[in-house]
Amino acid sequence: MSSKVMVSTHLNGQEVTFLCEPRQTLLEVLREELGLTGSKEGCGNGNCGACNVLLDGVLVNSCLVLAVETDGRTVTTIEGLTPPDRLLPLQQKFLEHAALQCGVCTPGFIVSAQALLEQNPQPTEGEVRRWLAGNLCRCTGYDKIVRAVLDTAQSLAGDPAQDSAKEVGR
Amino acid sequence: MRAVGSSIPRVDAVDKVTGLAPYPGDIDLPGQAWMKIVFAGVPHARITRLDVSRAQAAPGVIAVFTAADVPVNEYGLIMPDQPVLCGPGSTPQAQIVRWEGDHVALVVAETQAQAEAAAKLVAMEYEELPVVTDPFQALEPDAPLLHPEEFPFPYGQRDRRSNLLLAYRLRRGDVEAAFAQADVIVEAEYRTQAAEHAYLQPEAGLAYVREDGRIEVIVAGQWMHEDRAQIAHALGLPEEQIVVRYPAIGGAFGGREDMSVQIVLALAAWKTGRPVKTVWSREESIIGHHKRHPFVIKAKWGATREGKIVAAQMDVTSDAGAYAYTSTKVLGNATLMCLGPYEIPNVHVDARTVYTNNCPSGAFRGFGAPQGHFAAEGQVNKLAAALGMDPVEIRRRNALREGSILATGSVVPAGCTALDVLEEAARRAAESPPEPPVTLRTSLDASRRRVAQGRGLALSFKNVGFSLGFPEHCHAWVEIHGEAEMERAVVGCVGADVGQGAHTVFAQFAADALGLPVEKVELRVEDTDVTGSSGSSSASRMTFMAGNAILGAAQRALQAWEDEERPARAEFVFHPRPTTPYDPQTGASDPNITYGYCAQVADVEVDLETGHVLVKRLISVNDVGKAVNPQQVEGQIEGAVAQSVGWTLLENFVQENGRAVTQRLSTYLIPGVADVVEEIVPVILELPDPQGPLGARGMAEMPFIPTAPAIAAALHDAIGVWFDELPITPERVWQALRERQP
Ligand code: FES
Ligand code: FES
Repeated sequence: MSSKVMVSTHLNGQEVTFLCEPRQTLLEVLREELGLTGSKEGCGNGNCGACNVLLDGVLVNSCLVLAVETDGRTVTTIEGLTPPDRLLPLQQKFLEHAALQCGVCTPGFIVSAQALLEQNPQPTEGEVRRWLAGNLCRCTGYDKIVRAVLDTAQSLAGDPAQDSAKEVGR
Repeated sequence: MRAVGSSIPRVDAVDKVTGLAPYPGDIDLPGQAWMKIVFAGVPHARITRLDVSRAQAAPGVIAVFTAADVPVNEYGLIMPDQPVLCGPGSTPQAQIVRWEGDHVALVVAETQAQAEAAAKLVAMEYEELPVVTDPFQALEPDAPLLHPEEFPFPYGQRDRRSNLLLAYRLRRGDVEAAFAQADVIVEAEYRTQAAEHAYLQPEAGLAYVREDGRIEVIVAGQWMHEDRAQIAHALGLPEEQIVVRYPAIGGAFGGREDMSVQIVLALAAWKTGRPVKTVWSREESIIGHHKRHPFVIKAKWGATREGKIVAAQMDVTSDAGAYAYTSTKVLGNATLMCLGPYEIPNVHVDARTVYTNNCPSGAFRGFGAPQGHFAAEGQVNKLAAALGMDPVEIRRRNALREGSILATGSVVPAGCTALDVLEEAARRAAESPPEPPVTLRTSLDASRRRVAQGRGLALSFKNVGFSLGFPEHCHAWVEIHGEAEMERAVVGCVGADVGQGAHTVFAQFAADALGLPVEKVELRVEDTDVTGSSGSSSASRMTFMAGNAILGAAQRALQAWEDEERPARAEFVFHPRPTTPYDPQTGASDPNITYGYCAQVADVEVDLETGHVLVKRLISVNDVGKAVNPQQVEGQIEGAVAQSVGWTLLENFVQENGRAVTQRLSTYLIPGVADVVEEIVPVILELPDPQGPLGARGMAEMPFIPTAPAIAAALHDAIGVWFDELPITPERVWQALRERQP
């Protein structure tokens, strides 16, 4: 068994130091060592997006990132994105639109869609679909997920004129 | 506002959007050990020696278990034809590996990495046996035999010298005489492929011995009391000794109907005295659980010039794979559903399911009905084309209606709405003519891109609840708390919420019956101790069965409340009307409690250069009787259609010589948000089922069923070619386009 490495990461707003083996993925460390089980392992090789987190603000599959790579960097998981005592507007819209069934894909979709809205607050439907192409859902057929994301964008903009812009984008 | 009929958010939604909902793999127990299950890795062999000494000596290893450690080394949902662990030291039949996913050893260690490392040290010595992977070859007299051994077989006599697992037949009227009178006859052979559930949460679980000495198994399944029964059987313990608990379940679709990690977890925890956890990788999940049955259906149907279907002759073969799982039940459904929702006076069906060395086949959304309808609806669409008749019109003339006689000789249960969904689909389709092709969809020069468009229709029916004499029932209790006023209620009903929203529906039924807000209803849904069996979350039965059970319990609890009992508590076991098994000679029976009906219209666009098929719009009209939660019902329709479009155009579980080739989600492709369907239009009809709770019918499988034949018909409309084999990949379309050229 290889020797362990000390890693310090800015995780969900806190400085966290942990020991891990060089072969361990970020996903494994989050789930098994740090007790953050909101990120799911749907495939373990970059195909499903259920493990998605933000690394220095960039969306990554945490199953494809080695934990040692996060040394000195910033990691945000679903647990860190969720405010302590309420839901994000995006999470609220997932509830309202019934954009989840079994829910295993849901944290990954929330992390991914939140990343999209941060860099592109008014995406078109096509942009949403392309951005979410790396997230698999076997239950919903995706439509309600896409609606939830678009509705979040619209309500954050608070501008009804945005509607027609989106329809053209479609 | 009444609770039933309102689109309240799921009761588990907050936990799921925040990532807090615990799935089995997310749970840890103090002092837990990890288990790695060693798969056989060969499709057919006799294990002569299993050397676990090096694994036992590896760092961190607590124990290694083999066949000799299993008290009763057999299991199975319908019949116990599968060893829990294959290898020497128990029964002669357990020495044989019949499938690469058979389990041979369990390695329990302090950490996951240690269990995995030690598992590689288990040395298996074996003699290879000849492999048979084609069901027709498996029926040849000299084929290698999968199950020459004896085991309790619930269908009378089984011929142990054959790989035939079970055959059914339906006989009505005189097909030969009817073909002689028919004005048009169409014949075709339909083939469907094995398919993977690909629920997003792979199998995982934990087991431990509780302080009261009972073994608790925490796992994701579809029917906790059946899991408990199978665990108890294999461990040789009374059922009361076992508790099965379901936390959040990450999808199922039939794929968790059979055992995966349940028995072996219980065994390891019981033998070591430690809490034991196991988590399968995606590859283990794909190799290690059953698939949708591949079917070959040879069809010959005849009709008169007026479009009256006079005869249907079907020869149906399904590949059961290495063990029975639910193959006999799926065959039972397919035997009837291959005739579609039509009244046909002359019928001759021969259907069989056959053991091979492939991955076992079993339950998957639709349970034989999608394969059966792919053939039936293909035949009806071909008859319509041959007669130059509108596909809606031919169905109008033949569809089941109140009082129709099924091929089993029994009357279709009251509340038959095949014509209603058909007419609504026709109306919706007429309202929305296909859109003109979009000019620029690829990087190719738009002017050079050639597409063809087409529209197709299909109609379907599917039973609600278990069929053919199964003793269906569902337990529930309701407890009302308060003094002068009702304050809150507690509902006990342990039907699995596999993601479909069953628990939300339970709360809605109880709130509705008691006149309480849904927030005042507390659910007890967690384990086998809460109440008796609720039955399986399958066969589109949970809303129907649990709804009736909860309404019955609520009514009785209200009576107790009137009688001043505090808390007022009542239990109720719902028994639907009984069904009967097929007569072995004629198939005569009253096969099903009731049915749900669905019609779909598909608009497709075919790229004539690449063969790529795009489903532009899919209208799905579903009679759900009563939409308990309309938004969740829509979600079921959209999810089913997306899955079915995947099955129709994309998905293919490939096996070579008994080995899984498509072991990952990079090779076994399922639809993503950017592929396959542009627009799904869910249409909900609420025509009450007289037996349903507040009229509700089962609905979650139904929208899967007509999608494939509707798309096949749309492709015929577009390019004039019938596709009778799934999946209809771009390669197959491209090939057909080339062959079509003069
Ligand atoms: S688990 Fe990381 S992409 Fe699937
Ligand atoms: S809700 Fe089940 S995978 Fe998306």
